[in-house]
Amino acid sequence: MSALRSAPKAVAASCTKRALAMSLVLLTIPRFLDAQSRDVTATDQQTLQILLQRIDKLEASQKQLRERVAQLEKAPPGVAAPPSLLAPVETTTPVVPLAPAGLATATETSHTSADTPPVTQAQSQADMTEPEHMDASKTHLNIRGFGDFGLYGGNQKGQTTTFSIGQLNLFITSNLSEKFRFLTELVFEVHQDNDFEEDLERVLLEYSVNDYLTLSAGRYHTGIGYYNTAYHHTTWFQTTTERPYIFEYEDEGGILPIHNVGLVASGQVPSGRLGLHYLAEVGNGRTSSSVQAEPVQNYVDENSHKSANVGLFARPDAIPGLKVGFSAYRDVLFPLSGTKIGETILDGYAVLSRPSFEWLNEALMIRHTPMGQHIFDTPAFYSQVSERFGLYRPYLRYQYINASSHEPVFPQVGLRTGPSVGLRYDPTSSVALKLQYDYTELKRQAPIDGKSCVQLSMCAPSALALQVDYKF
Amino acid sequence: MGLQTRTRTRTTLIILVLQLNLSSGLDRQAAAGSPDGRVKLHETLAIVINRSNPIDNLAFKELRKIFLGERNHWPNGHRIAVAMLYYGQPERQTILRLVYRMQEDQYQDYLLKGMFRGEVFAAPKTLDSPLILRKFIFNAPGGIGYLRATDLDDSVKVVRIDGLLPQDKNYALQIDEEEPE
Repeated sequence: MSALRSAPKAVAASCTKRALAMSLVLLTIPRFLDAQSRDVTATDQQTLQILLQRIDKLEASQKQLRERVAQLEKAPPGVAAPPSLLAPVETTTPVVPLAPAGLATATETSHTSADTPPVTQAQSQADMTEPEHMDASKTHLNIRGFGDFGLYGGNQKGQTTTFSIGQLNLFITSNLSEKFRFLTELVFEVHQDNDFEEDLERVLLEYSVNDYLTLSAGRYHTGIGYYNTAYHHTTWFQTTTERPYIFEYEDEGGILPIHNVGLVASGQVPSGRLGLHYLAEVGNGRTSSSVQAEPVQNYVDENSHKSANVGLFARPDAIPGLKVGFSAYRDVLFPLSGTKIGETILDGYAVLSRPSFEWLNEALMIRHTPMGQHIFDTPAFYSQVSERFGLYRPYLRYQYINASSHEPVFPQVGLRTGPSVGLRYDPTSSVALKLQYDYTELKRQAPIDGKSCVQLSMCAPSALALQVDYKF
Repeated sequence: MGLQTRTRTRTTLIILVLQLNLSSGLDRQAAAGSPDGRVKLHETLAIVINRSNPIDNLAFKELRKIFLGERNHWPNGHRIAVAMLYYGQPERQTILRLVYRMQEDQYQDYLLKGMFRGEVFAAPKTLDSPLILRKFIFNAPGGIGYLRATDLDDSVKVVRIDGLLPQDKNYALQIDEEEPE
């Protein structure tokens, strides 16, 4: 009886001695390591790994010891302990090879192989190449949203100071498979008639062949220059309250074919550190038969001629944030007046965009060539600079466009030039406040003719805007 | 009972002393230059890919491009699927600091902007734990992620970065975990 009662004590004492002996050995090792600290080698690393594993083993032994002691304590007096409980403690943690290959081989960690279901590699590969299946209980749409709200006023005669709901943009993507992606921008907006309107500003099915070729089909923002494809339909990413006049949307009086429907090919050009990328687009082009018609030919093209746009840009490794490029757009317009008009839009830009500093420069030349008549060239540019100071980002933009009064496509534009100055304040990562003042010199202006004046600098020499932008 | 309790306590204390002593010995070099008097435990972060991926080595610049979404495909044609650990984990912080060179907010903004502009084809997957990340990499032919050396097993393949493995001297991805001395 007494021998049996003393069994736990004997085991515990034995284990304590073992632990003490091991501790003495291990206690001396760090001292030795410390003495050698100036000469850390791969061998040392291996030794350390072995020591750490021994600690793991010791911890495991201690755990087993506790369990055995607990079991012995529970055993009723007079009952002999099973031989297995009296057997010497053994650890099952294997010693790990420390060769480099060992990292990719069986390394014993806190997560054992039992944690990983025994799925065959072939089965798993097959699973991952499957598209994200839809079921009734969940969706694979990724939705992000952007919106803005503002107070606007200007000194144009008849203009009122107005609270205005801006665009509410739902940016939706879905990875249909490893190489297919769906993308859309669903925008709710209000125009001069105060009525809400919904537009699918972008609807694209994209197929990524490799890094050098991605094909897209649907409605897209024409890759003219930089701004149009950098900010799309949200004010959140842009520093200012409004887009530069030259890139204003068609339904707000803009003069470029901002949207198009067709095919896009894009990708990298093997160019090493230069970081060259290309872009090629073929689309329906803009409506030209009537100014009252929907400017984007979403469903039916009024003729079989297609617009084409090509672009090339570089993002050199040497200068992070720099993007330099150009694009050339070509279309033929068929106004009801009869004379075909060739349209060529050349754009060049140099942009330095970093988290704390931004300098955007873009220049365009829009050439309209009525068959057998005078050529009309309309130059335009904008330059914008801003720097971030904590939560504040003051900015300055200057823009210019000078169109002839006889310009066959947009005779109402004339000369518009002037600065905008403002301050963006980001109190949180999802809300921004912007205050902007525009001064615009206007010459040779034709009446706006019912076009909206969302961008006040189109309509008023001086304008003030206070805008709240948010993302969700 | 008293003797047993004392024995258990003593054993536990010995283990603790051992661990503390070892930690102190192992990290004395790291702590020596620490100006704030805190011990820095240096552990490496392994970059892991699917075992079927033939890539063995990545230049650090390539690694950055992959994580930034500037490079979207492996040479074998599979689209790259970047896996990130959940917010706030030291491994994630290390990748943000060393590879993205961004704060968490900047990273989120960068990704959203990249997706919006079409520059990033697919955002990284955010996974809850190293175990789930390991499973993801095991299952995704184009997967790439990161794990502590202690979280590795043979279900994933470790890629050399600039020719170095995590246990090599001057390996680029060192986790800095600070704990009070």
